[in-house]
Amino acid sequence: MDIHNHDHDHQRDHQRDPLFDALRAEMATLDAPRGVEKELMQAFARQFPRKRHWWEALSPRWALAGSLASVAVAVLAFALTVVRPLAGDRHPPLVTHDGGGLFIALDSLERIDSEPNPRLVETEVPRTALAPLGVPLTPENAGQKVKAEMLVAADGQPLALRLSAAY
Amino acid sequence: MTTSATKLQPADTELLRQMRSGAADAFAALYRRHQGPLYRFALLRCGSGATAADVVQEAFMGLLTGRFAFDPLRGQLSSFLFGVARNLILQHETPRRRDAALPGAIDDEDDAPELPSDEAGPLARVLHNEAAEDVRRALALLAPHYRDAVILYEMHDLSYAEIADICQVDIGTVRSRLSRGRAALAKRLAAHA
Repeated sequence: MDIHNHDHDHQRDHQRDPLFDALRAEMATLDAPRGVEKELMQAFARQFPRKRHWWEALSPRWALAGSLASVAVAVLAFALTVVRPLAGDRHPPLVTHDGGGLFIALDSLERIDSEPNPRLVETEVPRTALAPLGVPLTPENAGQKVKAEMLVAADGQPLALRLSAAY
Repeated sequence: MTTSATKLQPADTELLRQMRSGAADAFAALYRRHQGPLYRFALLRCGSGATAADVVQEAFMGLLTGRFAFDPLRGQLSSFLFGVARNLILQHETPRRRDAALPGAIDDEDDAPELPSDEAGPLARVLHNEAAEDVRRALALLAPHYRDAVILYEMHDLSYAEIADICQVDIGTVRSRLSRGRAALAKRLAAHA
């Protein structure tokens, strides 16, 4: 049956029985328990397993960092071509050259500056993943990894990534 | 404002398309859009919060896995989900119905066995209004096929055609069930007044 063929009985909002008014009002805000959505989203994740990113191969602790870094990478690709010529602009750059290395802010500079107990963690990033950032990539060095330092907040949130001068 | 906000929301079919291509936020949006009415229908229909939650979960799980295939050409997703929920509730009730049936009992339109809902307690606890609770209690004592029609019409503002599609009966049967359901409801409420 095609319910697009609405019958005329639908012009009957005013015909709703007032007997149900109290029940309608009482139940209007009832929702399924939150656990249902959680279970469903977990099932969705199993149904559509997410493609692993390069940073997830580093170690589990970098998964969050990688998520944030991916955002930074997109911004960086833009920044390398557009923002750098605007170095005199009043907005602080997200990417800067730092002593010959490349500094990528994963959070706002205010947040980085205000972090009371940051720590530095060393890691290695595949060169192919950095190519969009302007890091030189040739057939010879495509399999190499670039040393990087990750600035991490006390709560574990990554703040910035710095590539070594030798990248 | 509400109207413009509604217009900005993507259609169910678009969210379904995105969901099938792996967009978790589309699935979450679909769930959040439809879970409330579906849960309330199941809750009133079967009277058990746990069963209602199971029904909602199973309905969306079926939508996700393709066990319940929705065809946009046949109607709206909301009606489809109500139909799925109703069938799941019927499956849940089948063992009880079999147990409750008496030898020689006639299950026709007028004299169907009237199974009270399995657990009136959980829903009763969330209803603070006495009038609401009276109606809920009377609804719970209606025969299931009358209860379907009354709940969908009065609580969810569905048309006869939509209810007919959900319950897999013709429109005349919906009218008949609604009329008899209302009469039975009024009779019970009058008896308790």
